[in-house]
Amino acid sequence: MSLTKTIYDPDELAALNRRRFFATGASGLGTLALASLLNEDGVCSAAVPPQIAHFAPRAKRCIYLFMEGGPSQMDLFDPKPKLNELDGQSMPESILREIKFAFIQKDSARLMGSPRTFRRYGECGMHLSDLLPHLSSCVDDIALVRSMHGEQFNHLPGQLMMLSGSALQGWPTLGSWLNYGLGSESNNLPSYVVLATLGRGLPGGASSWSSGFLPSQYAGTLFRNQGSPVLNLANPPGISRPVQARSLQAINDLNRLRLNVVGNPEVASRIQAYELAFRMQQTAPELLDLSGESMMTLDEYGVTREEASDKSGFFGSYARNCLLARRMIERGVRFVTLFLSTWDHHSNLDNGLKRNTQISDQPVAALLKDLKRRGLLDETLVVWGGEFGRTPLGENRANYKKITGRDHHPYSFSMWLAGGGVKGGQVIGETDEIGWSVAKDPVHVHDMHATILHLFGLDHKRLTYRFQGRDFRLTDVSGNVVKQLVENLS
Amino acid sequence: MRNSFKNPQRVIGCFALVVPGRSLLFTFAPGCLLVCCRLLCGSEPVDFQRDVGPILQQRCLSCHNDRDHRGGLSLQSAEMAGRGGESGAVIEPGDAESSYLLDAVIPSGGMAEMPKGEAPLGIAEVETIRRWIASGAVWPTGLELEPPVLWSLRPLIRPDVPADIAGTAEFPLRNSIDSFAAARYRDAELQSAPQADRSTLIRRLYLDITGLPPSPVAVEAFVANDHPTAYEHLVDKLLESPHYGERWGRYWLDLARYADSEGYLGDNLRPHAWVYREWVIDAINRDLPFDQFSLEQLAGDLLEKPTLEQRIATGFHRNTLRNTEAGVDLELYRTKEIIDRVNTTGMVWLGLTLGCAECHDHKNDPISQTEFYRLFAFFNNADEVGISVNRPWETAEYEQGMLFWQPAWDDILSQLGNYEQQELSDDQRSAIAKALAGDSKLVDWKSIVDLYQTKKPGWDDVKKKLDACLTSKPAAPATKSRAFAKRINDRRDTFVHIRGIYSRHGEKVQPDTPAMLPDLIHRAEQPDRLDLARWLFHKDNPLTGRVSVNQIWQRLFGQGLVSTPNDFGNKGARPTHPQLLDWLATEYRRLGWSRKAMIRLIVKSSMYRLASAKNSVPTQQNVNNLLLWRQNSYRVDAEIVRDLHLSASGLLDRTIGRRGVRPPLPDFVAEVGRSVKWPVSKGSERYRRGMYILFKRTVPFPMLMTFDAPDSAISCSQRERSNTPLQALTLLNDPEFYECARILASSMIEQHPNDPSAAIDGIYLTCLGRRPVDQERSFLMSAWRDLMRINKIESLTAKSTVENVDEEILSEQPRLASMIAVTRIVMNLDEFITRD
Repeated sequence: MSLTKTIYDPDELAALNRRRFFATGASGLGTLALASLLNEDGVCSAAVPPQIAHFAPRAKRCIYLFMEGGPSQMDLFDPKPKLNELDGQSMPESILREIKFAFIQKDSARLMGSPRTFRRYGECGMHLSDLLPHLSSCVDDIALVRSMHGEQFNHLPGQLMMLSGSALQGWPTLGSWLNYGLGSESNNLPSYVVLATLGRGLPGGASSWSSGFLPSQYAGTLFRNQGSPVLNLANPPGISRPVQARSLQAINDLNRLRLNVVGNPEVASRIQAYELAFRMQQTAPELLDLSGESMMTLDEYGVTREEASDKSGFFGSYARNCLLARRMIERGVRFVTLFLSTWDHHSNLDNGLKRNTQISDQPVAALLKDLKRRGLLDETLVVWGGEFGRTPLGENRANYKKITGRDHHPYSFSMWLAGGGVKGGQVIGETDEIGWSVAKDPVHVHDMHATILHLFGLDHKRLTYRFQGRDFRLTDVSGNVVKQLVENLS
Repeated sequence: MRNSFKNPQRVIGCFALVVPGRSLLFTFAPGCLLVCCRLLCGSEPVDFQRDVGPILQQRCLSCHNDRDHRGGLSLQSAEMAGRGGESGAVIEPGDAESSYLLDAVIPSGGMAEMPKGEAPLGIAEVETIRRWIASGAVWPTGLELEPPVLWSLRPLIRPDVPADIAGTAEFPLRNSIDSFAAARYRDAELQSAPQADRSTLIRRLYLDITGLPPSPVAVEAFVANDHPTAYEHLVDKLLESPHYGERWGRYWLDLARYADSEGYLGDNLRPHAWVYREWVIDAINRDLPFDQFSLEQLAGDLLEKPTLEQRIATGFHRNTLRNTEAGVDLELYRTKEIIDRVNTTGMVWLGLTLGCAECHDHKNDPISQTEFYRLFAFFNNADEVGISVNRPWETAEYEQGMLFWQPAWDDILSQLGNYEQQELSDDQRSAIAKALAGDSKLVDWKSIVDLYQTKKPGWDDVKKKLDACLTSKPAAPATKSRAFAKRINDRRDTFVHIRGIYSRHGEKVQPDTPAMLPDLIHRAEQPDRLDLARWLFHKDNPLTGRVSVNQIWQRLFGQGLVSTPNDFGNKGARPTHPQLLDWLATEYRRLGWSRKAMIRLIVKSSMYRLASAKNSVPTQQNVNNLLLWRQNSYRVDAEIVRDLHLSASGLLDRTIGRRGVRPPLPDFVAEVGRSVKWPVSKGSERYRRGMYILFKRTVPFPMLMTFDAPDSAISCSQRERSNTPLQALTLLNDPEFYECARILASSMIEQHPNDPSAAIDGIYLTCLGRRPVDQERSFLMSAWRDLMRINKIESLTAKSTVENVDEEILSEQPRLASMIAVTRIVMNLDEFITRD
């Protein structure tokens, strides 16, 4: 195949660039050819993506519901009657000796039972807390993992670990890896989008969707759920749509003239980028326009919920984000992260959990049902989880007068997944009687990542990127696929 | 069965028992192909030393040697090869087809199992191995192969400048660089591109040396100046510009992973990080020789009687990320900072990926884990300190502030005096004086309130005014630069961290340098950072010169002679011009490590001045540019994209150095970080160069990130150059860029009120450093006419809905709006943000 022909065939170039721009580079000879063409001088970067999926993918898109702060597993997902029995007792010193806490004073720490009531739901009979009435109607689609574990007992290291496979800042996040590996399917939207419902902000800020050492076009793009969705999407005041259209025509005419004079392929890329940007200006606002959604849908998600009990606007905002996640998935966005902050209940755990579940339970369940109804759940992986769980011990931080919360606990916690090839209606793993450590089928954070990549048809050991002389992976040097999670895999 | 290894039946000729690796490499590499051809075609017997040894050495031994034993296998000697690897024997003498070695190297579908991750052996090479095994796998007694010596570790010897080459009118030999280049063009049968035209050259020089575009006046003057030394004069002038230090300082800050905050949760500001940045700019402007520049940054505090500036320089390694989240394991993160310091030192000066040896021996380069922790030991006893700095501008700023504040304060104090109780004692008066001395932000009213007539009307008001005035009092400068100091007490021992886990101590180690490099010379028994810094520049150190001159080259051609500037190891790229690289590396030392002299040398070459268009030589359009037969054309760095806009519009505030600034940032961007305050800088400060934008690690400035600025988590030796729709949106719609278009358009309308064509020429000259060609002008005039029509219609529509509109403004408005749109078009052209 003649490289020259490739680059100057405008149709093919357009097609190639469409796939390349919102960050990506899809599979196939075309992109590789373009990439190598651009790369031959080494002056224009075009990271060559690692070919096609390693095996048949089950998931094509992912919605990651990230629960920032560390939700309490024994109050939501993992009933511990024994812990309730032992409420107020101390832990054996032998268990505590090797453990690190962020704030707990080991000497005087006491176990703290849960006031929640658990019941069985669905055909599978999964136990869930009374704080999750809506989710309990979806349990047959959910795989609940009660045996998650990690090492990071502080927020940002834990979040970075969960999002990027490393506790250090500067590594690519899961969404970046997936787009690097698989390319983009969206013509008009970025391939990795972030929506956030935040109180005082995220510990890691933009590093929570960073592309780390991967090229920057693989980074997530922060969206707003109202107004103009992306930074600089709207024309400056005074520039009307006809002016913008005429300007773009002139820009591209002049750039084309330059392309003919100098022949540098980066000019062709620039022309394509402007055409895509203009298209994005036309189509992205439509994403936020919910007028086409039925009242039933809006009610189901709770977009219309009264904010009476809450002035923060979180209720409507989070519901809206869940609905937008579905709309993005429908438009080919590969990875959407929804942050909900914060579940960091060192104190006032009961009220805090009530509020957070009131914000999120209904929209999350609505999202699962909506995806299923539209036939999207099969290929859409939904992940729910935070950076760690919380201690069975009550938190007795030095300056606390009363013990009303729990400290960080990465040694055992819960997460759930649905759709995208995940076998629903099952619980994986167990913790011990008091929920201290994993008793059966441990799933490390790296294992979870390996499994997610597997669902997307990628071998976590083969999805690598050379940086500073080393081939880096999302799973660093470990990780095993949790076969039990994957449908029809044994 | 493996008798042939133990008792070689044939030993051919006489040769040294141990053949030094270097001579093998050099002697055999060129000969090999010929030999292999003969072997393929004819039936000459295989000779191990001549035919097989070089293949094993070059293609197998970098992993399968006595040190690394990858897969349990070493192919260095007959004995080791005979032992085989983890999966058993690899050679079955006399039976090639059953030998795993042959199996592993036979390609299938263009790939072979071995050499792992590299191009497979050629057919002739495979055939040689097959025949060697088939004929009994004879390996002469005592013959030991040596692993190949990595090119970058070979001694640095100044190559002769090619003499058998003549310049041409198109490509005059202006200095030795050109002779090396021309020899390569000749050997590769490449035609060099013509020299770039003068308007391209001046813009290239301005952007490369200062990062700012030339003014229209400068362009016109240079294009018209045919004096033979005009170019040289321009180069000298630009190297003397203080903006040179900014541009080349920013490159260094990429390597130094500079940021204005700590990183991680909290991401607290480092309010005085700028002192180090200012040091870098200043040091580069005064052309502090690169060896001294490096020495002061790594060990300025250990120099005899270090100056304040030399101590500030040690801020280099204080730019590491720091985790201060409540409850974190502080020792773990202290360790991580030191690991980053070792890795950064390796990448910046040695081109070595030392980080690969943090948890285990380096898999590709000869660096052991123990050696990694020996380097770690150099940095383990550096205390982190703050040193007081007072810059004259800070004092001036403070005094200026006080000049405004003091009279207001005095006025309020005299108003307050009217409320004093009658007949106060001396003690009471001194209590008042103490409470109102103004040295704290709050007045201790409790201690003095009884001394006032608080019932008198207006008291509350005066009191409130006084409190407010006090809080607005300018703070006296109290700048603390982040630096290193030698740790005197509680000195730490350093241990190998088993599997990289900091709390699992292995062998105790002393500071030392890797064995593959020249020995460390140390002043005292215990080597220190100063010894390490001097060792980097020791004349026998083969790496530092090559690595540092490559960094300069990279900034002037868009790509280094070694395209992996931080990896000169086995997995890094090979130099495209090895002779030229070595010559430049020795020349850099000869020039006394003067960065300016090296830049001057390179930019004065014909090679630098080549045209950059891909079709400069029509017959060579499909040839890659690794041999640099033309210059490269590439998009400028993020900060420069912004600088170009500000400069073209005239908004740019050219203040050098000082503290960081905050241009406007939408709330929703700032809000993703934890309690991020982003008060927009006042006055012209927000129009300062992009390199001064406050870099908060968890909320990096979006415009910079969209254009591939590094995230500053890790040392960055080479930025990405992506080309995305988000960049297009930024250039089109970012309010700051739009403002630049508006300002430039207004001034062009003012200069050419009734001549849009002349205005367009002015815009081109300002933005692109050239006048438009006819076709470009006609495209823009056509756009101008259309935009006028659109804007007139829109303003008429506006008029019909608004009453009492000033007619004059109405007729002027479409002209201005259309000129803004035209300016915005030019500012969105690929050429505007490209360095050709």
